[in-house]
Amino acid sequence: MSDITDQNQNQKQKQKQNVPPLRAAAKTATRVPRPLTRPGGYGWVAGALLLLALPFYLDTFWLQAGLFAMAAAIGAIGLNLLTGSTGQLSMGHAFFLAVGAYGYTALAGDSEGRYTGLGLPTWLAALLAVVLTGLAGGLFSPIAGRLRGAYLGIATLALIVIGLHVIDNATDLTGGALGREVPALNLFGFGFDRSELLVAGVPFGSAEKLWYVGLALLLGCALFARGVLRGRPGRAMNAIRDHRIAAGVMGVPVARYRAAVFVLSSMYAGLAGVLLALVFQNVTPSQFGMVVSLQYLAMIVIGGLGSVGGAVVGAVFVSMLPQVLTRYSDALPLVATPGTGGVSPGEASAYLYGAAVVAVVLFLPGGLIRLVARRTTMSTSGEKR
Amino acid sequence: MTIFIELLLNGISLGSVYALIALGFVVIFRATEVVNFAHASLLLAGGYITAVLSDDIGFWLALLTGIAGAALVGAAIEFLVMRRYRGADHSVLAIVTIGVDIMLVADIGRRLGTDILSVGDPWGDRVLTIGAVSLAQTRVAALLAAGLLITAFLLAFRYTSWGVAMRAAAENAGTAALMGIRLGRVSLGAWAVAGGLAAVAALFLTVFPTPGLEKSTAQVAMKAFPAAILGGLDSTTGALVGGLIVGVTESLATGYQGDLTFLGRGLGELAPYLVMVAILLLRPAGLFGTKELARV
Amino acid sequence: MSVLPPRTKATTKTTTKATTKATATALAALLALAGAAGCSSKASDAKDEGKDDAQGVRTGVGVTEKEITLGALTDMSGVYATLGKSVTQAQQLYVKQTNEAGGICGRQLKLTVRDHGYDPQKAVSAYTELEPKVLGYAQFIGSPFVAAVKKRNEDSKALIVPQAWSAALLGSEYIRVIGSTYDIETINAIDFLMKEKGVKKGDKIGHVYFEGDYGENALEGSRHMAKESGLSIVEQKIKPTDSDMSAQVAALKQAKVKAIVLSAGPAQAASLVGVAAASGLKVPIIGNNSAFAPQLLGTQAGPALEKMYFVASPSLPIGDAADGPSKLAADYAKAYPKDGLDNGVVAGWTAASTFGEALKTACKDKDLTREGVAKALRTMSAYDSGFGVQNYSEPKAPSSLESVILQPDKSAKGGATAVREAATSEAAQSFASD
Repeated sequence: MSDITDQNQNQKQKQKQNVPPLRAAAKTATRVPRPLTRPGGYGWVAGALLLLALPFYLDTFWLQAGLFAMAAAIGAIGLNLLTGSTGQLSMGHAFFLAVGAYGYTALAGDSEGRYTGLGLPTWLAALLAVVLTGLAGGLFSPIAGRLRGAYLGIATLALIVIGLHVIDNATDLTGGALGREVPALNLFGFGFDRSELLVAGVPFGSAEKLWYVGLALLLGCALFARGVLRGRPGRAMNAIRDHRIAAGVMGVPVARYRAAVFVLSSMYAGLAGVLLALVFQNVTPSQFGMVVSLQYLAMIVIGGLGSVGGAVVGAVFVSMLPQVLTRYSDALPLVATPGTGGVSPGEASAYLYGAAVVAVVLFLPGGLIRLVARRTTMSTSGEKR
Repeated sequence: MTIFIELLLNGISLGSVYALIALGFVVIFRATEVVNFAHASLLLAGGYITAVLSDDIGFWLALLTGIAGAALVGAAIEFLVMRRYRGADHSVLAIVTIGVDIMLVADIGRRLGTDILSVGDPWGDRVLTIGAVSLAQTRVAALLAAGLLITAFLLAFRYTSWGVAMRAAAENAGTAALMGIRLGRVSLGAWAVAGGLAAVAALFLTVFPTPGLEKSTAQVAMKAFPAAILGGLDSTTGALVGGLIVGVTESLATGYQGDLTFLGRGLGELAPYLVMVAILLLRPAGLFGTKELARV
Repeated sequence: MSVLPPRTKATTKTTTKATTKATATALAALLALAGAAGCSSKASDAKDEGKDDAQGVRTGVGVTEKEITLGALTDMSGVYATLGKSVTQAQQLYVKQTNEAGGICGRQLKLTVRDHGYDPQKAVSAYTELEPKVLGYAQFIGSPFVAAVKKRNEDSKALIVPQAWSAALLGSEYIRVIGSTYDIETINAIDFLMKEKGVKKGDKIGHVYFEGDYGENALEGSRHMAKESGLSIVEQKIKPTDSDMSAQVAALKQAKVKAIVLSAGPAQAASLVGVAAASGLKVPIIGNNSAFAPQLLGTQAGPALEKMYFVASPSLPIGDAADGPSKLAADYAKAYPKDGLDNGVVAGWTAASTFGEALKTACKDKDLTREGVAKALRTMSAYDSGFGVQNYSEPKAPSSLESVILQPDKSAKGGATAVREAATSEAAQSFASD
């Protein structure tokens, strides 16, 4: 935990250049030791340890589901910056996931047979894929900067349609409908591939290895977003959301901020796309349809608009729900086994998360994260502003 | 030349159906400033009721029930969900309608299962032929119905007290309420009207040349989004023009795809979105949308 | 704003100390956990390939003393729900009948069904979930998902029977498509048009096809045929959401095509045929096996479909009078009286019975491991499930080059009757040997 807060402070220092170093140091001093001396602090440590230990115990199925959730969480954090904090609706998130996923695949893949690829080192390809997504977001900035709210939402639908069209036609880069194999990540000679590696007697396949990559990326993304939100940009974004004109009058460059947040949010989606591709080991167009964009919007609403934790909670909820329902379809009441008529697991999860979106907005403004936050505030008192 | 005229007519008639759907968006947006993503489910509900009942009670009665049913569903969404929201963020409400849509589409989809339902309309697969150009009778009917409904709404917005109330509510909700306009009623009415319009659109989307009502019919509602946006979300004229632009673009891009291969094949769905992006670049509020002026 | 430096220093020290302590605790705990992992169930599950049972049959994943578990990754709530439902029910019927007859290799069959609703994440997750539990997959709907698991399935060696007929899925020893692929089917379809419907050299034919592997694979067939027989193809690419074919028909009419090939879904077939008939484009239209469903005959396009539409199919129709189809039709109607008969029933049954036959052969060879089953399938060079003879000896080639040509017929069971018996066209032969 202390590590987390330290890093966060670094972020903050980057963001708030006007804060004298002394004060920052003082803040570190007064805030850091606290979590550890309180029961809440140990909870965090235990949670972190649990997450680190999971690959030793869980089936590949659960690890894979968890990795899908982590990728979703990264994407949702990005979307929450845009929609939750700045009030700009985007239905084009799936497009940016696709740019990240296909970008990585084409940059890292080799040119062989009917495919074209640059064959770059995978870490570089991942990095460039994220940059590429940012560029794609930037190209859309003439629209992203000028349109607001729902107008932007529908305009971004165009991205999905255009994206799918390109994926379908640029088959040498994308592999078309059947998709293209994704090169496994390789960091400093260590391959995150399917080859089995024994760690403490437990065979580590790609899901087990990628688990740690996923955790690290998610942590980094969450901290960075928190830094952005708590700093000056975060306040400007909220001002644009709550009162655009007043924000403009107070000197916030509204169009520039909107475009910048759009680019940042796209880059988050790009990284999520890279992770998704690595977990999937294959990229296919059906992973990036409009439904996916809608799911991301559902995630941030269910989890809690405008908060990093909310995005993570929502992402876990929305992406795990259908998996859990499908897996236990034999045992759950109301949910029918496929082939017997009745409510299928897919339909059950559609009902549930549709209802969750509505219920959360009406009865739990602030999302599921509020429930968690309320409990911590009660047990620890303070910290929460 | 024949093919051009045929494609054009086809596009116009298809576009008029899109215009009906877009008009539904516009009505709700004007009254409440909410973009209704649940429109697909209203469409499916209207179509489903019509198709299921038409065998037993005859087509016209079934259609009326379908319109009433979809209006009721719309009103129920407003009354049970939209009205309960206490916040002020319209984007959040838009996302709520997505939640409603997911639930309703899943439910009607489950009822539909794998069926393709016919609505039993009186036009059948007859075709109107003028010279070398032929157009399905259903499409002529769609064109007439859409023209009639859109004109009626243009007039209603201008001259009826409901229209005035809605315009007042859109202008300034607070002031309108103080003047004695019941905002709840305005918004309820808008949702009901949108539902009814969606049911009419559903009819024309499920008759010939399409085989009937199936799950994927809901996705057609998505094509009306670019129509509503490029016309301007708060403009009735915009809905009409936007619908026609989308319909004609789609029809021409499909018909001439053989000559446009450099853009990749299968352009029909893409072209309307490209037009939309181009228009939004020039006019961020759409062709006929009210440009927002901020006075500080 | 005023902060006292000494205090800052002091607390920073505590911080460092606390941090170190926490890190140490964390590391210790992690080590303990890693140690404990040694006794986690994951570590102990050594590969159980190659156990021999009492009869001397080698068994592996998915096979116990009493049970053989097969997986079915289906779509009953997504775009292929119609197909998924029929295929799954037919397979459940096969399992029930086989078990009543005493099972296979002294074991009962068990079919574990997962509905992925045509969602990539759910499909790949369902594959991963079942992978340690099942011997193989008797059904896998959605060719993009089959392609997505292709590489990892090479490691696990589970036999997969996909319900998709794309040539791109050929080539793996463990993924075996049953019947002719779409390209072969399209070649046979055009051959039928030329031999029996008066299409001749120099003519134009239209090809309306879905984006994606199905449509594009079919297009390869028609392009080959065009080159071979001197035809020219007018291509019209559509999306699965397009269900109004007016613009396509207008374009094809303008191009004066003599026939149309359709590689899309049932809804597109109804619209295309209906519009063509109504607007006076009276040419024969032939579709791939996925472009027809008996429900269509109840729509307004019904009469036109019966008149000018044909379907190429890899197997005999369910309504055929031969022994296989008539028995299956009767049994299926008895087991699922509410559900219609269609090609999905045939596809599901054929896949399950082929898998069953492979299991029986593997049992005879005393090797019920995954590799044993895949090997057993390769020895089946002339297996007839009652719907057509298939040769599974070569993973790179489709198991058959034959297509049956069907014509929609309201009065027939399953809505179609065969108008041309199973046959391989010369062009299909030459295409396959290329």
